[in-house]
Amino acid sequence: MSFIPGQPVSAVVQRIEIHKLYEGDNLILGFSIGGGIDQDPTQNPFSEDKTDKGIYVTRVSKGGPAEVAGLRLGDKIMQVNGWDMTMVTHDQARKKLTKKNEDVVRLLVTRKSLEETVRQSMMQH
Amino acid sequence: MKRAAVGETQSSVSAAEDLQTYSRREWKGNTTKSLLIRKGYEAIASEFNLCRVRGDNYCALRATLFQVLSQSKQLPAWLHDSDISKWAKEMHSDFITEWQFPFETSMSKLQHLEQCLELLKNKWQEAVQYKSLEDREHMCQHVFRGHDEEYELLEALKFLMLRTAIQLHSDMEKGSDVPEFCWLLFARDSSKCPKTFFTNHLRHVGFSGGLEQVEMCLLGYSLQEMIQVVRLYKCDTEEFITYYPNDHKNASPLCLLTEDDGHYNVLVPKKSSKFDAYGRPKWNQSSGGQPSITTCL
Repeated sequence: MSFIPGQPVSAVVQRIEIHKLYEGDNLILGFSIGGGIDQDPTQNPFSEDKTDKGIYVTRVSKGGPAEVAGLRLGDKIMQVNGWDMTMVTHDQARKKLTKKNEDVVRLLVTRKSLEETVRQSMMQH
Repeated sequence: MKRAAVGETQSSVSAAEDLQTYSRREWKGNTTKSLLIRKGYEAIASEFNLCRVRGDNYCALRATLFQVLSQSKQLPAWLHDSDISKWAKEMHSDFITEWQFPFETSMSKLQHLEQCLELLKNKWQEAVQYKSLEDREHMCQHVFRGHDEEYELLEALKFLMLRTAIQLHSDMEKGSDVPEFCWLLFARDSSKCPKTFFTNHLRHVGFSGGLEQVEMCLLGYSLQEMIQVVRLYKCDTEEFITYYPNDHKNASPLCLLTEDDGHYNVLVPKKSSKFDAYGRPKWNQSSGGQPSITTCL
């Protein structure tokens, strides 16, 4: 777990390494994304800040490469293989995740936890 | 507060139904709350179906147990390596004496707890040997009938939670590393140590109270599972999906749903093809027709 400079202290990130899998001729990751700077952020149920146009994990296939790697529904993707994902269009995000010559993608994600929510509120006192 | 009754049959967990259909039926109207809850249902409707769980104070335990039995592919190491019915004798007698059962028993409380633990191990072993979904579902229908057997399994889960709480508290006192939720569990005035945790909280679960969030973490940790809960009233916040506990890696989470952190239902995966006829990942429009797409990768 590490902190990204510039993010609020409460944002703790996880490193997720996904090994893509061949399903027929397709290399799949086993998850879906929503969001992007060209998308409507009010549709995103995972974020409180309705101006947040980040990329979120909207589905995770059971037993798929992403789930096995520890990616979870609702995770916000901050980086893919070092590329920032906080200010990208939906299609740019898709492209960074689906490069044909890469069979491993390394993500930085943030995820809220109960423990973290309470720790935050304790830190305010 | 909406609670779904499971109907005239004895089944404690209903057959799977479509989430959108359920959502539109239960949450008509356009209050802020209805719109929020329906938005939450819609966010996950393409991925899951809903199994309604009997709405008593055991529902969180029941929903979790259902997922454990219907999804485990193998016996977890902690269960495999132990004769868990012996754990009842190792438990301090104060806890045993104060134990409440939801049914009559002619045995001693100790003996009955041993029986509950034995039953849990047997049922889990039975579940993992079924390879087909149909056989598993059949087994679960048989377990979740509202008979004593179901409640014995639920009481066994409570016992595991107690045993784990005692172990974790002991580790905390020694200064060993413990999961973060432990601090929260024992920070409550009513639950400063395992004894008060049991007397004030755990022994009443199923009777006058359900599980609080931090106790969901204890349940998940006790089973070495990660419980993923879709919390509909938290839609549009970062707590919409909450993990209990949040630190169990590489596990396939047990998926539950709650509208209010009070009643829990079960989510089962919906079978769908991820690719269209040309082998391209499917793009889905949200039903509002707004520019908001989800891309399958």
